[in-house]
Amino acid sequence: MNVKLNNRDPVYLQIVRYFKEKIAIGEFEPGEEIPSRRELANRMKINPNTAQRAYKEMEEQGLIYTEKNHPSKITTDKMTLGMVREELLVEAVDTFVTSVRSINVPVDELLDLVKEKYTGNDDKEA
Amino acid sequence: MIEVKEIEKKYGRKKILKGVSFTANKGEITCLIGLNGVGKTTILNAIMALTPINKGQILIDGEPLKEKTFEKITFIPDAITMLPQMKIAEAMEFMKDFYTCWNQDRATELLGFFRLNKDDRISSLSKGNTAKVNLLLGLALDVDYVLMDEPFSGIDMFSREEIANVFTSHLIENRGVIITTHEIGDIEHLIDKVVLIDNGLVTKEFNAEEARENEGKSVIDVMREVYIG
Repeated sequence: MNVKLNNRDPVYLQIVRYFKEKIAIGEFEPGEEIPSRRELANRMKINPNTAQRAYKEMEEQGLIYTEKNHPSKITTDKMTLGMVREELLVEAVDTFVTSVRSINVPVDELLDLVKEKYTGNDDKEA
Repeated sequence: MIEVKEIEKKYGRKKILKGVSFTANKGEITCLIGLNGVGKTTILNAIMALTPINKGQILIDGEPLKEKTFEKITFIPDAITMLPQMKIAEAMEFMKDFYTCWNQDRATELLGFFRLNKDDRISSLSKGNTAKVNLLLGLALDVDYVLMDEPFSGIDMFSREEIANVFTSHLIENRGVIITTHEIGDIEHLIDKVVLIDNGLVTKEFNAEEARENEGKSVIDVMREVYIG
């Protein structure tokens, strides 16, 4: 559990985002137990109150659930899980589109380039 | 809650505190930030009644300071107050004799946490380890409030990390903490509330997470605004 926090975004939202990413790539599996608030605070070097707030936010968004006297777990709700992936994806694409739009490139040329770069990176990582 | 209300303090003709007010909640870490000489330590001394104030009032859980309050609050000064020839174990014994709220189990745990050896003499310790002993002696008391004066100053980065770890552990849980510092960098994510002090006055009191959420500003951003304008 290693995450680089920036100083300008609310820390609790950065934590929520970290969890969403891990859920989206399947590193946190549905129904998996997550660390306690105290443990999370300690591992991420954040204020325990902030960890508490991040968990509350995730509970409200349905990402995690807590049964009485048990550790919190990642949701098993397929819809929520699907939405997390989509949300991150749409967000990333939106950012990309906004920044690339100013260059005014034809969409086909852009898509070819995206394909090339994206698969190219895959090869490198593999 | 610790309430500091309009306190003023003079040393001779020199006014050090010119009407300082702020509050520090239980279960939160409040950080007094200011350059050297702006009155941070004087504020802590005033809360502990180690120095008389000329005006204003200090309330702890709604009550003025009295003898019994000292079982509820502790002050960890920036230098250790134990005799240098004492061993760590002897210093712990000394604290145990003086405070009914001394918690031996927690003290032992802290020894392990800081990787200290109780048979070491205080005079033989490095600066970082002396600071850790100093913290140990304060944190092992079962008190609701802990005041720490510059716990990070002059300490190497790894020891600082170890000390910062205390803040996210159960050793601090549910207590109210006031710490003073002039270097905020490595504890920016650890603190709840920031009180900026300049020239004997509170220039700004704010919640660190709220500043990030509402204004997209880091603690250092806000400081830059206040100090440089």
